[in-house]
Amino acid sequence: MNLKTYLRVGSTALALFASATALQAQVTVLGWPGGPEEAALRAAAEIYNAKPEVTAENKVDLLFTSRDGFFDKLQVDLAAGSTAFDVNLIATYSIGKYAPYMEPIDLSADASKVFGDTVLKTMQFDGKQYGVPTDLSLHFLYYRKDLIAALMADDAAKAKYGEISKKYLGEALQPKAPEEWTWQDFAANALYFSQSVNPDSPTKYGTVLQMKNLLFNMMVFHSWPRSYGGNWMDDAGKITVDSDAYRKALEMAKMLYDAGATPADSTSYEYAEANAAYSSGQVAAMVQWNAAAADLTKAQAETGSFSPPAGPDGRFTHIHGLGLGINKATDNKEGAVAFLNWLASEEAAVAYAKAGGAPGLTPETAAKLAADRPDLVQVSDYASKYGFVMNGGTSANALTVYEAQAKEFTGYWAGTQDLDTAMKNITASMTELLKK
Amino acid sequence: MKPKSSIENAVLASPLVIFLLAMLGFPVVLSVIYGFSEARFETIASPTFNGLANFRQVVADPAFWQASWFSLRFGVTTALLQCALGLFLAVYLAPLVRRHAWIVAILIIPMVVAPAMVGLMYRLVLHEFVGPLPYYLNLIFGSSPSFLNIANVFKTVVIVETLQWTPFAFLLFLTAYEAIPKEMREAAAVDGTRPWRMFWRIEFPLMFPTLFAAFFVRFIDGFRVFDNIYTLVGPGPGGSTTSLSIYIYETFLRRGEIGKAMAAAILLFISAFLLLALAQQMMRRRG
Repeated sequence: MNLKTYLRVGSTALALFASATALQAQVTVLGWPGGPEEAALRAAAEIYNAKPEVTAENKVDLLFTSRDGFFDKLQVDLAAGSTAFDVNLIATYSIGKYAPYMEPIDLSADASKVFGDTVLKTMQFDGKQYGVPTDLSLHFLYYRKDLIAALMADDAAKAKYGEISKKYLGEALQPKAPEEWTWQDFAANALYFSQSVNPDSPTKYGTVLQMKNLLFNMMVFHSWPRSYGGNWMDDAGKITVDSDAYRKALEMAKMLYDAGATPADSTSYEYAEANAAYSSGQVAAMVQWNAAAADLTKAQAETGSFSPPAGPDGRFTHIHGLGLGINKATDNKEGAVAFLNWLASEEAAVAYAKAGGAPGLTPETAAKLAADRPDLVQVSDYASKYGFVMNGGTSANALTVYEAQAKEFTGYWAGTQDLDTAMKNITASMTELLKK
Repeated sequence: MKPKSSIENAVLASPLVIFLLAMLGFPVVLSVIYGFSEARFETIASPTFNGLANFRQVVADPAFWQASWFSLRFGVTTALLQCALGLFLAVYLAPLVRRHAWIVAILIIPMVVAPAMVGLMYRLVLHEFVGPLPYYLNLIFGSSPSFLNIANVFKTVVIVETLQWTPFAFLLFLTAYEAIPKEMREAAAVDGTRPWRMFWRIEFPLMFPTLFAAFFVRFIDGFRVFDNIYTLVGPGPGGSTTSLSIYIYETFLRRGEIGKAMAAAILLFISAFLLLALAQQMMRRRG
């Protein structure tokens, strides 16, 4: 082939590629790659694209990259004004960071009936809605029903339980059903089922705390101080982390660590390590993400679950969501808005859930999924009753706040610094990070 | 062959030069610009010059010094251990390797594994409930240490790094050991020199330049460690396993302080450069 032939073939290929691209969908959605989220989004997009009223230029095309460093890459793309996607994934804890590069969206009143206001709030920043919630994460208290039942049926064990709680917590507690637990009960149970405290315990550890210097571990932890009335800042914007609530929760966690109620390696534990510990049968109870329910129940058939324990201010569970919002640099805002409005409808939410997604729904919507997804009924119930987002939890630096807390609090737990120093440092960091 | 003209040489070399300038020069220049600018992701396209402010922030940050101290301790400890072990293995295994050269291929396998994978692998191997090492220690001794708690984590990451990179030192020392002329050893043996004395008085001095180079290469590598520590334990409780590279990564991507991260990277580069220059000068003086 001579040069002319090469050029001719190349031009033809380019023309074919261009015409094929023109026929492609015009709303590109950058989704959360892999796992049930991708499968659910694919199913929802298929339903949407099949609708007769969706024109060719507004059909949805999905784009998936990799979870590894996803949010870092997304940040760079958005900051660079990329038009490679019209709709992109956002998460509660990073909305503020991406808000300057995104378009707020006005959802219809029906969205509130589908998701409920608590869940919609996970996609809000500065009073504006930046996305449609697609998947919700919160925490469950997982516990061994067989161990609790045996404890409650044994008077000698109850007496021992009272002695241990008196010694470590200052009050003689009686075993209770996990649905009634306060954090004091959680701690007493953790101590009783630890062989370092109670050599007769059937399990080596009473609980497993995730104490690695990792921001997600702070999310697991902070339902604890919240139930004692803790918050990141007050309505006036003053940082309130140095509070009795945070101190109490941090001290209790450290007491459990020092007493050997959680593995000594807990300072390097995150989701996978904690699940492995519980699954081994050597842990009596733990607080973990709802996503672990299937794995933990499969490993330990006698696993029960409930919302995390209560404190003096009530029962709380951290919630955060993944969702989809509009890239400010989009070439097709109209198509993006149309897709997101449909995604906020009951039809889309139900289809998304049936395909494996985990949207947080109102009890009325979740009831329609009772047969297909009974777990979502529990998630939706806890989210609407106990879900919370800290003041500042969707701000531009929310992730960095979690990081700073992880550094300071894990340092205190591991004994590299005292509580006053940790509090002083985190107050200074959060004041800087959350200043208006 | 007749040498080409300088113009011809320049033309032929230009693609490579242009490629290197684009791939290495451009990011370096950009890093230096950001190092002297107020730059965050929001202002990445329009950084504003702020002089030495980022450098002042970095040197005033206790976390930077904590990371520097960790990197220094880690670099020196691992380089010493790898060189000592590598030297021992090279001398001890040399007769065996002479007969069975394929042993070298087996011994250098750890070097071939990506450091990030090594970190992940040990995360599994050392886990109290699923790891084989705690399992067998429990089985044999009735208990197992907590490898990753605050008391042991430094030792653990040092051992992991040493196990992976000792083969590198071993390979260098083996080459240097085998390069010592046979006649020297034979002459010393004829004079009645004992093996231990032969090692200290003849072989070790001849291998010293290699030892010196290996130590510095391993020190620099240890000083800028990232992958295996990050995947094994992350920054550590209270930042206790944060190396300078982890500090830079977290400052850049997690906290979005691009200017500050670049300033720290420039300081890391300068310190590594000075150390290497110093090492080179010492070698030259000795030579």
